Amino acid sequence: MKKILLVSGAALMLVASSAQAQERKLVISVYGFAQDAFKTILYDPFEAKCGCKVVVETGNSVERLAKLEANKENPVIDMAVVATPDALAATRAKLIEPIDVTKLSNYEKLYDIAKDPIGGHMSVGYTFYATSIVYRSDKITINSWNDLFSKELAGHVAFPNVTTNQGPPTLYMIGKAMGKDTPDLKAPIEKVAEHKDDFVTFYVRSSQLTQLMQQEEIWAAPIGRFAWEGFAKMDLPIKWATPKEGQTGGMNVMVLVKGAKNKDLAYQFMDFWLSTEIQTKLAERLIDSPANKEVKLPAAVAENLTYGEDLVKSLDLQPAEAILDNRESWLSQWNAKVGQ
Amino acid sequence: MFQNRAESLALALPAALFAAVVFIVPVLILLSEGLRLGGDWSLAHYVSFFSTPLNLTVFIRTLKLGVLVTVAAAVIGYAAALCIVNLSSRNRGRMVGLIVLPLMISPVARTYAWIVILGRTGIVNQALTSIGLTDAPLRILFSETAIFIGLLQLFLPLMIISLVSALENMPRDAISAARVLGANWLQVFWKVILPLTKEGLVIGGTLVFTGSLTAYITPAILGGSKVLMLETLLYQRVTIANDFASASVIAMILIVMSFSANLLLKRLATARAKR
Repeated sequence: MKKILLVSGAALMLVASSAQAQERKLVISVYGFAQDAFKTILYDPFEAKCGCKVVVETGNSVERLAKLEANKENPVIDMAVVATPDALAATRAKLIEPIDVTKLSNYEKLYDIAKDPIGGHMSVGYTFYATSIVYRSDKITINSWNDLFSKELAGHVAFPNVTTNQGPPTLYMIGKAMGKDTPDLKAPIEKVAEHKDDFVTFYVRSSQLTQLMQQEEIWAAPIGRFAWEGFAKMDLPIKWATPKEGQTGGMNVMVLVKGAKNKDLAYQFMDFWLSTEIQTKLAERLIDSPANKEVKLPAAVAENLTYGEDLVKSLDLQPAEAILDNRESWLSQWNAKVGQ
Repeated sequence: MFQNRAESLALALPAALFAAVVFIVPVLILLSEGLRLGGDWSLAHYVSFFSTPLNLTVFIRTLKLGVLVTVAAAVIGYAAALCIVNLSSRNRGRMVGLIVLPLMISPVARTYAWIVILGRTGIVNQALTSIGLTDAPLRILFSETAIFIGLLQLFLPLMIISLVSALENMPRDAISAARVLGANWLQVFWKVILPLTKEGLVIGGTLVFTGSLTAYITPAILGGSKVLMLETLLYQRVTIANDFASASVIAMILIVMSFSANLLLKRLATARAKR
């Protein structure tokens, strides 16, 4: 009896240890939004494909970068997704390493702007968005970023705070419209300060804008395309402006953590995420605009995203370097002139 | 209750250890950031904070708004609490339930509701226009007034609850006795009710003041970012500037302000009692 017990115990241990060996873990660090959809579209199918477990850590970029920094010596995260300036900050802090793009079979399918957004192959873009102005077409017409300061619009515009993702790109385009587009954004910030009382609010959450538009508090606001759906659904004549200076926007990228323990899985996962199939599914659910140019979308879906070769080519994105190097000076100029 | 002091201390030890490890130590680590410069202890971050005129303006504005909200909450809170304690116990329970109800709704949702109420087409402006007090809608939203209203609504329930429980513990005959002895209502409040309910006022006042100082979403949304407060400044230091040292200075200032408010209220309460 004792022998049988010993043998079965040993067999059990053997099975357990081999199961443990098989159960590999890929730890990813992502934004907290739409995680249910990401689980069904991306994580679950990837787990089934790789026979591994995907451990997801979520949070805003500050928290997640702080965690990468804290675990620098012994990284727990394998790959992360962040915005381009944060990827550059991580590069400078030596938290991430170059991506060997030859290991990504879907790399050539990406739009050019997504292939190497911050240089040195330190990141690969997986989604981007356009930023322009939504406006009430029955009240006004917007053809230029300068129109935000027009007399007709005084008292009817919500302007993004410099602390939001839309703030600096909007100031960047205003600088272009003024013909004074230095990276310090001095001229556009001064212009906003001059017209400070003409703006209804300097918004911090784009979710409040639909309500303000519905209540007729505002007629126009610079927003990211991801927020367009809420406006399009409204029972009001609302248009997306195509200013003569062009549209700007932002991009989110994938990065590979330096010294990651599961690099092979991280590469497989990145490649899977960039595949036409997954990018199409994520776009169809209106989660992320595709960075993969082979993705084909019906017009109704494309309308709510940043989609199509022409549009993507026309995007005038603020360089990540300019954002990272000037963020703090924009903030102090803004606080001194606008936030008082 | 316990046979000796050691026994009671031993029983308190697990909770104290837990609080020390998961709360006090992390807070101290965070606060120490503001006192370090290049590996040495230094007050440089504090000096630089207070030598910036913008920071001083923001500090004074935050303090002013905190005091105003606390005073307004105390005045309205006493009126409401006095009405509530005079209700039958069943109705009192219902009223307290109604007052507590908003605390169960997220501050974000409550703040958004104010956008509807205070907006150009909101009920406040509709009422003002219909009774002829103003011709055009007033701009209430996105101003210091809007922040005041939002914060008051957010924290008033805490004041009312503290005062209701203080008033419930007050001997019911005290007011009648004072009235019989010829005191007018102001004297009754000042010489009887206030001294007997000071504990409730100290607790309620501290909760409201601390809450007003540290609320982030209400000033950020209702102020329209035209009104910078210490808490919005702290958020900026962390999320944009990634500057934990000056964020820790602001956190320390907020903590000191809260403790000072508590001490001051206690001092005022005891000063009144001694007289």
